[in-house]
Formats: sequence, C-alpha cells, structure tokens
Amino acid sequence: MYSLFIILWGNYAPDTLKKNLNYPLGSYGHMYSRIQNIKEARDVDILVLGSSHAYRGFDPRIFKQHGLNTFNLGSSAQSHLQTEILLKRHLDEIDPKLIIYEVYAGTFSSDGVESSLDIIANDKNDFESIKMALAQNHIKVYNALIYGFYRDVFRKNINYKEELVKGEDTYIEGGFVEKELRYFEHMGFEENGWNLKGRQYEYFERVLLLIKERDIPVILVQAPITESMYTSFRNNSEFDAKMKQYGVYYNFNELMELDDEVHFYNSHHLNQNGVEIFNTKLIEILFEKGESTNTP
Amino acid sequence: MPFNSIDFAIFLPVVFILYWFVANKNLKIQNLFIVAASYLFYGWWDWRFLLSILFITIVDYFVGLGLSREKNETKRRFLFYTGILVNLGFLGFFKYYNFFLDNFVTAFSFLGIEIKAQSLDIILPVGISFYTFKVLSYIIDVYKKQLEPATDFVAYSAFVAFFPQLVAGPIDRGTTLLPQFHKERVFDYNKAVDGLRQILWGLFKKMVIADNCAEFANLIFNNSTEYPGSILLLGVFFFAFQIYGDFSGYSDIAIGISRLFGFDLMKNFAFPYFSRDIGEFWRRWHISLSNWLRDYVFFPLRRKLLRQKSLPGWAVQFLPPLVTMLVSGIWHGANWTFVLWGALHGIYLIVENSLKPVADRFFEKSSSKIVSGLYRGFQIGFTFALVCFGWIFFRADNLAHAMSILAKIFSGSLILLPYYDWQENAKALIILIMFFLCVEWLGKEDQYAVERLGLNWPRPVRWVFYSSIIFLIGMFVQTTEVPFLYFRF
Repeated sequence: MYSLFIILWGNYAPDTLKKNLNYPLGSYGHMYSRIQNIKEARDVDILVLGSSHAYRGFDPRIFKQHGLNTFNLGSSAQSHLQTEILLKRHLDEIDPKLIIYEVYAGTFSSDGVESSLDIIANDKNDFESIKMALAQNHIKVYNALIYGFYRDVFRKNINYKEELVKGEDTYIEGGFVEKELRYFEHMGFEENGWNLKGRQYEYFERVLLLIKERDIPVILVQAPITESMYTSFRNNSEFDAKMKQYGVYYNFNELMELDDEVHFYNSHHLNQNGVEIFNTKLIEILFEKGESTNTP
Repeated sequence: MPFNSIDFAIFLPVVFILYWFVANKNLKIQNLFIVAASYLFYGWWDWRFLLSILFITIVDYFVGLGLSREKNETKRRFLFYTGILVNLGFLGFFKYYNFFLDNFVTAFSFLGIEIKAQSLDIILPVGISFYTFKVLSYIIDVYKKQLEPATDFVAYSAFVAFFPQLVAGPIDRGTTLLPQFHKERVFDYNKAVDGLRQILWGLFKKMVIADNCAEFANLIFNNSTEYPGSILLLGVFFFAFQIYGDFSGYSDIAIGISRLFGFDLMKNFAFPYFSRDIGEFWRRWHISLSNWLRDYVFFPLRRKLLRQKSLPGWAVQFLPPLVTMLVSGIWHGANWTFVLWGALHGIYLIVENSLKPVADRFFEKSSSKIVSGLYRGFQIGFTFALVCFGWIFFRADNLAHAMSILAKIFSGSLILLPYYDWQENAKALIILIMFFLCVEWLGKEDQYAVERLGLNWPRPVRWVFYSSIIFLIGMFVQTTEVPFLYFRF
C-alpha cells in the first residue's frame, strides 16, 4: 500500500509536496547521459572514478590529445558506496587499462544520499540498488528506490532524452561536464578538520579490492581545490598519510600552484582554465612515472 | 531513547513480547519486568539518570510508609514537609541552581556589590520535572489520607519509572495509576489495537506536523533580526503547531504504548486550539499538569486566602490564578521568559473571569444563530491569538529576544511580504496543517482524533486511511533527528 502511494504521489503530487521523494532524472551533473554513454565507450584506457571533482575535473579531450581514451564515471557528491555499485555494474563493460580514483576527503564523511538518488533515477535499478538503500538506511533513498523500480518496470524513462546543454553545463562525450567559464570570488574559511573516520573507508577499501580482483592498476588522485579552502583544513597531511597506505597517491594541492580566482569557479571545483593545467600536469606525471596505460 | 528512534522501534516489540509471553507468570514478575524495561529505557539516555530516579523512588516509598504508620500529627507533618523539601530540593538543584545563582549575582551587582560565584556544570536528568511532580502528588495524597501508601516496593518502583510516561508525562496520580500495578493485566486485543491507532496518530503529529514546523520556526526565531514582522508572525504560527504536535504527539504515543501493556493513562490534550477562552484552553492543554496545579496549588491557596477575612476580595480572586500560572511558568524552565509566559496567562485568566461573563451574556443570548456562531468562531480565533502571543515568550531565548520580536510584529513591517526561497515548502506545510486541523476537528469529541474515525468504514477503506497516514509520515519525516521539545523540561 505504501509503495502504491509512493507511485501515485510521484506521478501526480506537486514538487513542493514531495519532501522525501526525490527522483532526479536528468539531474544536475548529467548522470543520465554518462550512463547512456557507457554503451558507446570503446577501448577505454583510463576510467576516472569519484565525485563532481572527477566528472568536472578530468577532460577526456585533453587526455585524447595525448593518445589516451578516458571515461568519467562519477556523480555529484558520490561517496564510495555508490562508486562500488557503479563499478559492479559497469566495470566489465568499460574494461579500462588504468583507473584514476579521485579521492576527496569530503566524500569520506558524506552520507552519499544525493548520489544514491542520482544513480537510482539515472541508471538501472537492481539488487545492488536494494543493498545500497539498506546500507544507507535513509527514507529518501527508500522512497526513490520504490519509485525508481516502478519507472524501470513500466519503462517510463524509455523515451527520455537529456539535453546535453543545461544552463552553464555542457556534457562532453566521455562523461565530462564542462562549465561555462566563471571565476571564483575569494572568501575566507573557518578552520576545520576532515573527518577521517567513518563507514566510507570501509566502502573505499571494498572498491579497491574489487579493482584489484580485476587486475587493473589504480592511482589515487586528489584534485586541486582552492588554496583558501584547502589551507583551512588542519589535517590534510593526516589524510595524505592515510591515502598513501592504499598505494600510489598524488595530492595535486601540494604538487601544483593554481590561482583561486583564475582557475576555479567555486571553492572546490576547477574551471576550464584550471582543468587544462591540472590534466596536463597529471598526464605528464603519468607518462613520467610510467603509470600511463603504456606501462604495466 | 526517543519514541521516534530506531532504538525504540526495536525496544518496544521486544519488551511487548517478553511482557505478555514470558513475564506474565504473575503480577510481581510483570511489575519487575516493567521496572527493568523502564530503567533500561531511562538509562539509555545516560546511566547516571538512574541514580536520580532510584533516589527519588526510595525516599518517597519510605516517606509514604512513614506517613501511614506515624500517628503523631506533628511528626507526620514533619515527615511530609521533609518529603516535599527533598523532592523539590532535588528538582530545584538540577533545574534552577544556576538560574538562581546568576540572578543572585546580577541582583547584587545592581547594588554595586560584586559576588564571585561559580556556576556548576549540571546535567539535567531527562523528565525530572514530570516524575518529581508525580511523586509529589503521591506524597500529598498519602498525607491527606486520600491514598493508601504502596507496600510493594516493586509495584511502587514500576509506578514511578513507568517508561511510556517517564520523560514527558502525562503526570498521572497515584490514585489512578498505582492501583493498576496491583491488578493483574490481561491482554485485550481491542485495547491494544486502539493503542496502536493512537501511537500512529501521535507519530504523525510529531514527525509530520511538529518536526516540519520546527524547521521553519527555528529558522525564523533564530534569525529574527533578518525578518519582517509578517514573517515573525508566521514563525509564531509554526511554533504554535510545533509545540502542540510535539507534546500532544508524545502524549498520544505514551498513552497508546501504555494501552499495549494493559494500562490506562489520563488524557493529556483535548484539542486545545479549539478552545473558546483561556480557562478552557487550560482545561484542554497539558491536562495532567493543569489538574495537578489546580489540585495542589490553586485550590489550597484559594482556601487559605478565603479564610483570611482581612484580605480584599480582589486578592482572593486574582492571586490564586496568578500564582498558579507563575508556578506553571517556573515549572517549564529556568528562564525569565517562562516566568513572564506564566504571568501572562495568569493575567489572561484574571481579565477573562471579569469580562467574559458580560460578553457571553450579550452574544449568546442573541437569537441569531449566525451571530452566536460568529461569536464562537471569534472566540476560538481570539483565544488562539492570545495563546500565540504567549508562545513568543515561551520560544524566545530571553526577554530581550522576545521584546525585539514583539516590536517587529507590532510595527509597519507586519504588512511587508518579501519572498524567501523556503516559502514554497512553508506553503506545503500549511496545507498539511489544514489537513491535520480538519482531522482533529472531526474527532474533537473523542479521546484522540482518529479514535473512532473510520471505525464504521469498510475494512479496506480503513486500511487505506491508516496507510495514508504511514505514507505521510514517510513522505514528510525529517531526515535529521528533532528531539521532543518537552524533554528539556
């Protein structure tokens, strides 16, 4: 009976009355297009995983210039629980030679609800979705899942076509979303500390194990954020030390200097200027250290 | 563990099954099980709280026994006042020590005398105001020989600590609740189903109405300097439904849970926002506390004043309601805002007692049904407005905060209607409140709104209705915990 109410409410109630029913089909971040794009992905050299820092920070066109086919499989505020689900569904299909796992300390303390809703609405739903909902134990995820199964079973999304250009965002083949060039206006941040405990570390390790079982090399990369935000966190070195325990790790906040007001559009996302510099530097390191797909 | 938590959702069915299928061998075991479950429930917040309730239970049990066995009236009176002082002293220390200390220091500073005093970091045991008043009524009733003292320590402990009502009432009396611990409880299916219905409605009030109103009330009150009078008034409206949904919801859940275990608790709310005057409001709002104050403060004070022949008539008429409401205000918390709120209601009652008879005679004698109907509607609206005015003091952080809010409400900014992006969600909440009020109005003659609503409907329709309430809870529940408001009292 509850499920029936969810379906009716989802179909007919106005948005203001859907407090705990969020079904973000074609949402911010172009997840729908990204998932559809997987079918067209061929000979992928590098698969990039992570949150919005991944799909807004790694431009396949720049990698292509260096002979590397890249695919971005990230979603907004994606936590490691969702990364695990996406890999289980799509890793074999994408079959990359290298994985770059974008690690941002913020995702380790995220509840991942936003990303779960994104995946439920924009990817197929299966038993993994149920496990994800049970792991998160959040009413919004349960409600979205019920509605998501209804839409999948009755093929309600079959004719849906997502606009590639939405506002300032343009979806680029390969899973990247380019934002119209904007510049961050400097602001100060209160001193803070990253939460280095939590269940997300458990999911993170499960993702690494999943990748290891497929014999795919993985590199952990922390994409740059604004210096003003980065330096407000007092335990960055602690986070770095923790990531180094898992393997090859590069923190680009320490490896390069960018200008907050030239290379970013908000406090923690690169604008296209910043993406170009960051990706060029990353590719340089990959080739230098023999971590590109040309070297096992 | 709050009633709307996962912990309690696991606790309750386990306790229910063990109570009826394992501990039902005899009455003593059942009562002992209630004590154990209640102590587990209370200790879940903080194990140190158990020391508080254990102390109160032991002291008052022996005071009760002493009062019945002692024949010397002077010694009885001494024992009685000792019991009262110990209980009030205990409550006073935990709840009012820092408040009195701060005001003591402030008062002397006005005289130019600086006193160095260290305030203490005191943890207030959850529900202490409720169970202290419960045991006070026990001592008073035993002293007045209106109640036989408990001779069974286990039954008495269960009465004091009974978990459904321990932390936020209703404040049941020994005369009505204690005998239920001396009677064998037999599972009554209809009573249990009725209890479940009341729990469901209580959860709806708390999780849909109260918690969603809290979101906007807190936003507006906590940022009151940024909003015009019109929005502050909206905040007061939301707070009015937050506190009603929260507290009456808790009471419904407590009463419903008690019925699952075969107990009948007193009704604590009777649709107070449909009251036609303040006197009626206090006969419908937090009834257990109102009755307690009426029986142990108002009537004794009035009797004492009536015996003082030298006192002017206005003193006999005005002092009892004023003092009673001041006590009510102080009971709610250690802040001058609560004292002022109580005083305000005392003044309301005084003015009403003088003016209302005149107004009623004029309007109710009118032969026009429309006029008397309009008058009744006006009464309900006006009473609600008076109550909301009082809620400003109740909710404000301090007197200055309350005054600043009032100043804005009674200013030109009352007619300003700026747009805020949260207003669409607020409109949706108002729709929910209207639905809620309709259901409450339909069920206003019953113990709780959905007690008899739909009982005559075909079973599938009835189940659709209950499922829709569960659905609304799932659709509108807040995803971050919102504590029950009255836990802080």
